[in-house]
Amino acid sequence: MGSNEQIHRDKVIIDTDPGIDDSMTILMAFRAPTVEIIGLTTIFGNVSTQNATKNALLLCERAGHPEVPVAEGSPEPLKGGEPRVADFVHGSDGLGNLFLPAPTTKKVDESAAEFMVNKVSQFPGEVFVLALGPLTNVALAIKRDSSFASKVKKIVVLGGAFFTAGNVNPAAEANIYGDPDAADVVFTSGADIDVVGINITTQVCLTDEDLLELRNSKGKHAQFLCDMCKFYRDWHAKSDGFHGIFLHDPVSFTALVHPEYFTFKKGVVRVETEGICTGHTLMDQGLKRWNSENPWSGYKPISVAWTVDVPKVLAFVKKLLMAP
Amino acid sequence: MATAAAVKSPPEEEKVMTKKKIIIDTDPGIGLVLLLPSLPPPSFFPFLVFFVTDDAPRACIADDAMAIFVALRSPELEVIGLTTIFGNVYTTLATRNALHLLETVGRTDIPVAEGSPVTIKKATKLRIASFVHGSDGLGNQNFPPPNGKAIDQSAAAFLVEQANLYPGQVTVVALGPLTNLALAIELDHSFPKKIGQIVILGGAYSVNGNVNPAAEANIFGDPDAADIVFTSGADILAVGINITHQVVFSDTDRKKLEQSDSKYARYLCKILGLYYDYHMDAYSTKGVYLHDPTTVLAAVDPSLMTYTEGVVRVQTVGITKGLTIFDNTKKRYGEITEWTGKPTVKVAVTVDAPAVVELIMKRLTTDD
Repeated sequence: MGSNEQIHRDKVIIDTDPGIDDSMTILMAFRAPTVEIIGLTTIFGNVSTQNATKNALLLCERAGHPEVPVAEGSPEPLKGGEPRVADFVHGSDGLGNLFLPAPTTKKVDESAAEFMVNKVSQFPGEVFVLALGPLTNVALAIKRDSSFASKVKKIVVLGGAFFTAGNVNPAAEANIYGDPDAADVVFTSGADIDVVGINITTQVCLTDEDLLELRNSKGKHAQFLCDMCKFYRDWHAKSDGFHGIFLHDPVSFTALVHPEYFTFKKGVVRVETEGICTGHTLMDQGLKRWNSENPWSGYKPISVAWTVDVPKVLAFVKKLLMAP
Repeated sequence: MATAAAVKSPPEEEKVMTKKKIIIDTDPGIGLVLLLPSLPPPSFFPFLVFFVTDDAPRACIADDAMAIFVALRSPELEVIGLTTIFGNVYTTLATRNALHLLETVGRTDIPVAEGSPVTIKKATKLRIASFVHGSDGLGNQNFPPPNGKAIDQSAAAFLVEQANLYPGQVTVVALGPLTNLALAIELDHSFPKKIGQIVILGGAYSVNGNVNPAAEANIFGDPDAADIVFTSGADILAVGINITHQVVFSDTDRKKLEQSDSKYARYLCKILGLYYDYHMDAYSTKGVYLHDPTTVLAAVDPSLMTYTEGVVRVQTVGITKGLTIFDNTKKRYGEITEWTGKPTVKVAVTVDAPAVVELIMKRLTTDD
């Protein structure tokens, strides 16, 4: 890769709930030459929002970028109430129970939604948001500033299960389930959105062999990531009978940097917010002309990742993870 | 099923072998009930139990009518009754249509039991699919009123009675919303154990619906009833639109049907026009989907499809009301879910579409 001056770098805010695969993604993103991380915003999900902030600060320090601002997000979903936290997947500290020392840097004073609105106004049409957790902060930004949806360059969402089973229950995927109301606000906001569901991300994984290769590599963060991944890997073995880890968040990051590794289908997506299928993402594929209005009518279609070139994504992820 | 044979009445097939007794629950649109034998017999004798049919507009009846005729013409089945339900048309009209169809082909020996006019939650604001099937559910042909009448029993009572008469031997082919079956379950908690099999036309599994992106019409018609039936523990085979949309009756097939002078073919050709127009308009296809006849054939010959087994729940509220969600029960979730521990059902995943169309054609182009 050439020097930074010659390369256009996309401004990216990562909205995140680190989280083991989030951590992997954040460390990767700092190594990606075409990306400029202009801030991290935090949300509940894999951990509480407060712990997500702590972990985000830690990760910026570890990546050698303590100057990158971290803005803390909402502690609860739009509707209020206790957020659902998946500590059984990521460990009680969110980082595979490594229990690292506290960060030395501090979060900024702005809330996550304020931070997003301000950055997007400062650089209209230039800022990407990579949303790796529940969509509460993004929804709050949309509600806060009606021009946010048109000013943000693109929102890349890790979330949903399109025409496949969820991972929280048969109907719902965890990020959307974490705040279904927010997800419905975001998907129907009119913003340019690429959404990567678990129908895509579960096709891309690191096997035990890959993890060993990573550990034996000269990757700057390889040891740290491998230590962290152990907890995550053991959970996959228990839950899916699969010996390895799914790369949900790294795949979504790849979709931002290399959309050409994916194919997308356009359609209006709505999220169920009531009943046993709460959190279900339902896309109108546009195969039928409806004879009357329905809840999907009249919204701007978004892009749903439909297929993925697995070898290319894996090669991209591994290269960044193993970069010395 | 020698016992079943002894009790049944349809006279046409004299070699009394084990036929599946079926009841078609239909919304003629029209439905059929079939009795199916539990043992594969060397030759069959059909026990058409009954369809639950719905009073759909005329266009719907084309699909239902074809299904009922296929059942009547299937030697493996004995249609022992038709039960009616709203859906394609209002229930009262479904009953008239069912009686009319049976009179048309001289099968007035088959009883018709009228079903519920409202959903299990007593909703009356029903979605009636007249734009699909025509305002009389028979393709807007304005047929004269039938001479016969429905029996005094309700559809649910009839279903319960037949299940008790022939425990384990009655197959219900449900071609409309599942209200009657849910009522039968409420009426007699042992119904799910006593009924042989319930073959359901309903749901959209991992595909968009046909009422809206989330829901398929029959499930949408009464989602609460559907959830009761799917989780009842009965032996259930669900055929969704992911399957029936693969079975297309083309213009060429229709012309072939027109050349036949069987009474079934002649009647169907009269009512198929509107159904073709609807499909052209909605799906831009020159052909019609054979939802109902395909489902009947799943009862005739299960080997025409492949199946997967798991738990199906139905969403009963919200914007995705009527959504069917299948859990293959293989994945272990971190928490107990609404699917955990519920009885499993079979869901069709592939279909031999050419074989289905061929079999339908064969049955319809020959006379008794």
